[in-house]
Amino acid sequence: MSAMLLNKEKWSEFIGKLSGKNLWAPAVQGEVKKYAPVAEGETVELDEGNTTVPPKALLFPQTETLYRFSTGKEELEFPGLDEEMVLLGVRPCDARAMALVENLFRWDFDDPYYLKRRELTTLIGLACNEPELNCFCPSMGGSPDSTEGLDILMTDLGESYLLETVTEKGKAIVEEMKDLLEEAPADALEQKEQLAKGAREKIRRGVDPDGVPEALPQLWEDPLWQRISAPCLGCGICTYLCPTCYCFDIQDEIEGSAGRRCRMWDSCMFAEYTKHTSGHNPRPTRRERTRNRINHKYSYFVDKFGVIACVGCGRCSTLCPVNIDLIDILRQVKAAQ
Amino acid sequence: MSEQFKPNIVAFLCNWCTYAGADLAGTSRIQYPANVKIIRVMCSGRVNPLYVVNALQQGADGVLISGCHPGDCHYMEGNYYARRRLKLLKELLEFTGVDPRRFNMSWVSASEGHKWKEVVEKAVEDAIAAGPFDQFRRRQIGW
Amino acid sequence: MDLDKLRKTAAEVVSRDDVKYLIGWRRGTFGYRVAPHFIEDAAGVDELIFSPLCIANLANYLTLTEKLPVPRGQEADTRKVALLVKGCDSRAVAQLIVEKGIKREDVVVIGMPCPGMIDWKLLAERYPETDVAAEIGWKGEDFLLVRGEEEITIPRAEVLAEKCRLCRHPNPVLSDITIGEAVEPWAVAEDSGVAEIEAKETAERWDYWEEQFSKCIRCYSCRNACPLCYCEDCILDRLDPIWVNRAVNFSENTAFHLARAFHLAGRCVECGECERVCPVGIPLGKLNRKLARTVREEYGFEPGLDPEAEPFQASFKPDDPEEFIL
Repeated sequence: MSAMLLNKEKWSEFIGKLSGKNLWAPAVQGEVKKYAPVAEGETVELDEGNTTVPPKALLFPQTETLYRFSTGKEELEFPGLDEEMVLLGVRPCDARAMALVENLFRWDFDDPYYLKRRELTTLIGLACNEPELNCFCPSMGGSPDSTEGLDILMTDLGESYLLETVTEKGKAIVEEMKDLLEEAPADALEQKEQLAKGAREKIRRGVDPDGVPEALPQLWEDPLWQRISAPCLGCGICTYLCPTCYCFDIQDEIEGSAGRRCRMWDSCMFAEYTKHTSGHNPRPTRRERTRNRINHKYSYFVDKFGVIACVGCGRCSTLCPVNIDLIDILRQVKAAQ
Repeated sequence: MSEQFKPNIVAFLCNWCTYAGADLAGTSRIQYPANVKIIRVMCSGRVNPLYVVNALQQGADGVLISGCHPGDCHYMEGNYYARRRLKLLKELLEFTGVDPRRFNMSWVSASEGHKWKEVVEKAVEDAIAAGPFDQFRRRQIGW
Repeated sequence: MDLDKLRKTAAEVVSRDDVKYLIGWRRGTFGYRVAPHFIEDAAGVDELIFSPLCIANLANYLTLTEKLPVPRGQEADTRKVALLVKGCDSRAVAQLIVEKGIKREDVVVIGMPCPGMIDWKLLAERYPETDVAAEIGWKGEDFLLVRGEEEITIPRAEVLAEKCRLCRHPNPVLSDITIGEAVEPWAVAEDSGVAEIEAKETAERWDYWEEQFSKCIRCYSCRNACPLCYCEDCILDRLDPIWVNRAVNFSENTAFHLARAFHLAGRCVECGECERVCPVGIPLGKLNRKLARTVREEYGFEPGLDPEAEPFQASFKPDDPEEFIL
């Protein structure tokens, strides 16, 4: 993994070169921090903290057209999906999540929409020097400077950014930028290590998930699920804003003699998620749905893919309006063993 | 010179009064703009305000709801409920920034063919002044 | 407000034979969070609090808590639910009784006169959250934040929740037991906080709402947090016929919010939960408060004050305003 330095004086040139490639970066729009397209000539300011909506929304859009149809045509019209994209400022947890989620999109069927987009996207990450209150990536096997899932990892060293190339795609970008970059001296790498260490130490909250995947099947009828789910509103905040959640619904929309089939995010926390056409619902209350969500992330996904479907980004705990706190839930699971 | 914009107005008319009034206008050969597309409902009280929102989503530039005069409702009270409901809907639409000229409500009885003509003319005039509706038109979103 | 008295009263209530459980608030797991606390026996009352962070409307749980069919041979549990309510929360309870969503005899209402709640986001801007759950209380009209040894007074105007700024009913409108002294209602803005938007031209108003509705991710948190949105078969979930498409785009988001605001017209008790829970900060309260003001000023009615009142949209007066009708 080679390491280059980008002096911040060259930042706007760097952005200028990237903005021709369909560049997206975190921006605050209407008080919400999320990924927004960067037009040619615009600047990007990467500050601390993470976006509310994770970058999964770019590879797995909240609503996407699968195909269009009309009574006049024999063939279905599929989307082009040929636009390359560069995501800048992706946090290591979100990148890890994308690597994780790919397991699902390649599982029993290669999802052409997600995988094509992923293939065409370059992820330039930004290491976290100042973790947020609810960050707990080390507990979940990640770290503030993890490179998993990224093509390049940037670290803010103050006057410059350190760029570490991770993949061939990352290498290609670094090649293009070589006029703006210089070799990173040893002390820059040393500084990065210190920052990463400092970041890890700043993380105040966490829980060791050791034993949780094994314990969960035994706790199926435990009263802790009722306790945890009692305040739950049954909304979609935790699932929609979770970088490792990927459930979706498929609906048709017809207008006259033409229409489209589209898929959109769905949430296992919604009551109608498992409602049958008969009216029967095997997960009739929030208790069953909460139990299912925790079991999916910390037990079923582990059984299938060997990894916990959680990267410790903390969004669910930060944004839950009734303080259902994942770290607290995991502690309760461990205590109930 | 560009063609004048021809608005699409969806009208929900109560079966017993306004629909009959519009019929009367027709049989009396009263001329009025052809921009109104009529949906007959049994009572103005049956009109769910979501129909109005939905109509605007699907391409209407204006919506008109018309029923019996207060006291004359075939079902006794339907139009009173409609009056309350649609007043609130109108306030809501205006507050959100939808041109108030797009939404009209009227009382037209079965014998008021001429009034129907006036109501339609006003609705069309208002919709033309407000322009083509595009604010939250349903569009199949891009790829 | 005497915390010991609250806990003692709660313990007594929850120990009654005819009470299933009591819903109150407890300190959250970090920062300025407060969680709804479900207490089934007297031991649970030690965690009960009443602080300026107890903004969540617990009346929501009266209808949110699912009632499953009773298995054969078993009797239904008809015991009451006890809950703590502030002024706004009690209005929700009253409105639910009006609509027959709940029965008066099925609830034990413990009223807490409320001096005003904090919007934790405003507080966090000044004093960032930490991993230790914060201690906050009232100090006269202002608030007192305790951090270790430090005591910080925070002026009311800086962190008071918007809905509290406009509150007309800080004292519960109905209760079986009241804990604490009645609060003097404060002068509120007559415009319900919507004058800024009303002052805009139509096109400008639309620009404002267009930006806001574009943010919506249709998480349905606003609907689920609303104590008065409790239809088991919500029209916005219906798929056949589909009223609002599940696809998340601007047109559907607008329809969703207009539909919900309309369904709450004359019913919304302005508890502000919808606004509070929105993860992307859409000022939903403005839509509901605008309609609430119309109902108040033009029809002389305020929902949630009288459990015997008639539901607003299910009633009429012969002289209702009709100046807008041709």
